[in-house]
Amino acid sequence: MQLVSNDEQRQIEAFLYREARLADESRYEAWEALVDDDMYYWVPAGDDDQDVEGGLRVSVTADNRQRLATRIAQLKTGMRHSQLPVSPMRRVLSNIEIEPVEEPVKSSAREYRVGANFVLYELRAQSTHKLEVWPGRVEYLLRVGSDGELKMYFKKVMLVHGSEPLSTLGFII
Amino acid sequence: MSSSIPAINIGESPDYHDLILRDRIHGSLYTSPAVYRDELERIFYGGWVYVGHESEIPEKGNFVRRTIGEEPVLLVRDKKGEPLVLKNRCAHRGNLVCSEHRGKAKNFMCPYHGWVYGLDGSLLDVPYPKGFTQEREDFGLQVLPLVESYRGFVFASFNAEAGSLSDHLGNATNALDRAVEMSPSGDLRLTAGWVKQKFAANWKMLPENDTDGYHVNYVHASFAKVIPSQYDEATMVSEDDLKSQTIDWGKGHTELNFAPSYTDECQWLGLPDASRFPDYVKQLEEAYGYERAHEILRAGPPHTLIFPNLFLGEMNIAMIQPAGPNECVQWHTPLLLGDVSDALNERILRQSEAAMGPSAFLLADDAVIAERQQMALAGGQAWLDVSRGEEREEPREDGSIIGHVSDETTNRGFWRHYQNVMSR
Repeated sequence: MQLVSNDEQRQIEAFLYREARLADESRYEAWEALVDDDMYYWVPAGDDDQDVEGGLRVSVTADNRQRLATRIAQLKTGMRHSQLPVSPMRRVLSNIEIEPVEEPVKSSAREYRVGANFVLYELRAQSTHKLEVWPGRVEYLLRVGSDGELKMYFKKVMLVHGSEPLSTLGFII
Repeated sequence: MSSSIPAINIGESPDYHDLILRDRIHGSLYTSPAVYRDELERIFYGGWVYVGHESEIPEKGNFVRRTIGEEPVLLVRDKKGEPLVLKNRCAHRGNLVCSEHRGKAKNFMCPYHGWVYGLDGSLLDVPYPKGFTQEREDFGLQVLPLVESYRGFVFASFNAEAGSLSDHLGNATNALDRAVEMSPSGDLRLTAGWVKQKFAANWKMLPENDTDGYHVNYVHASFAKVIPSQYDEATMVSEDDLKSQTIDWGKGHTELNFAPSYTDECQWLGLPDASRFPDYVKQLEEAYGYERAHEILRAGPPHTLIFPNLFLGEMNIAMIQPAGPNECVQWHTPLLLGDVSDALNERILRQSEAAMGPSAFLLADDAVIAERQQMALAGGQAWLDVSRGEEREEPREDGSIIGHVSDETTNRGFWRHYQNVMSR
């Protein structure tokens, strides 16, 4: 695996921690500002290994940029019951691995593939008031924009329990 | 047959005529362990339930694991090519025989002591056979006595005396027909896998909510605000302008009929018309004739609950699984169509993800509302009113009852049948 420089690593980790904190705090506008125009936000439905005809596989969440914008707009209506009130949340990221993307989607940009483990604790403040644990591995694709700032254009959240019955997931995971 | 399920001593069975009145129902129906035990025995083990779709087990030896009530079962395509439902529990010491969610097998071997069963449940092999002197015929996996398909939808019962499937389905066959006819070839493909959503709520809240047209403006207000959809005209205009209907088909089967509010084709697919899928239009015309094809394109798929555990959720199939009085799980998969373009099936898949499941624009909110209701009912003291629209619903010749889309015709239909079943 090709390594990145210490500076790049620090910059990427700072981005991931910021992304995590903004998601934890349901700061949707600030979070959305980290997202590029070709964003794909994906939560697969677990470890299913069945060969699928035509590759069509139902996911928990599979948002292109437009659908993600709709998701955020819905959260901001003040009528999204599943996040009324928003869930108090904190997540921990670890086991971060970074590699440069050899053939970037945007050929002029520097892009990185990043993997990390996470554990998210959520208080289901809208209904049961139970503490929910969401563990998994997250994969990001990041790129450095023309302004020198990092943006995210892919986030895949692979839940450890994605194939099991899941509680309501109204927030951005 | 229900006597084969030993009763757990959690109190006397209530009199369901005291708890279910014409226009109201008692909150303990959602919370009482005794009620839940009776439901398992009388509804899930005593009657017909939906188990799976034939497209999930296309070849001989294919199987999927399911749960009926709380009993683990396997839906298997046997050596003759027929669907069969076996209890997934070893006749020896009660272990789970098969722990894979799906697959293909020649036989099933219990991993505990190596007992081997055929696809028909018969006991084929017992390791160290000299020590086991019982009659082997008495030690097969229990085969559910009733299994029958209706146009690919497989239903089963633990109870040999449950009557015929056609009697159980009654008028609901027309909803299954409409689902099948969305496909030009009549083939449906439940092959996209399942998302499972956990509700900290009683299972009955799902069938009731699935065909409740009154909640949409409130529970789904945030959805309506950000996404123009087919539901706007169908459920959200003023009371006098609403053309959609609630339908009580009888036998606990209920529907929200959106078709009367659809003026153009493919509105059920969230589209302004059918122009995006000309091949599909042509295929339907060839299969069903011009007139019928365009009626299908306009009216769209059914939004129908088939008692007790199958929801034909337009282009979704959902299964409702009880898990104690205070919890249930809904499984869903998109209703993919055979022999149509990938683009159409992908549209169906993406619509499904938007509507159904734990993060969806709709179901995330339904779940939280159901959980709040469960919390509010925990004390067991409430009466719930289901009288809305009693004065304006209309019976039809086939025994069904039509109501205004905001009316509780569907709830009353559900509870009337529930009371019948639970009082047997």
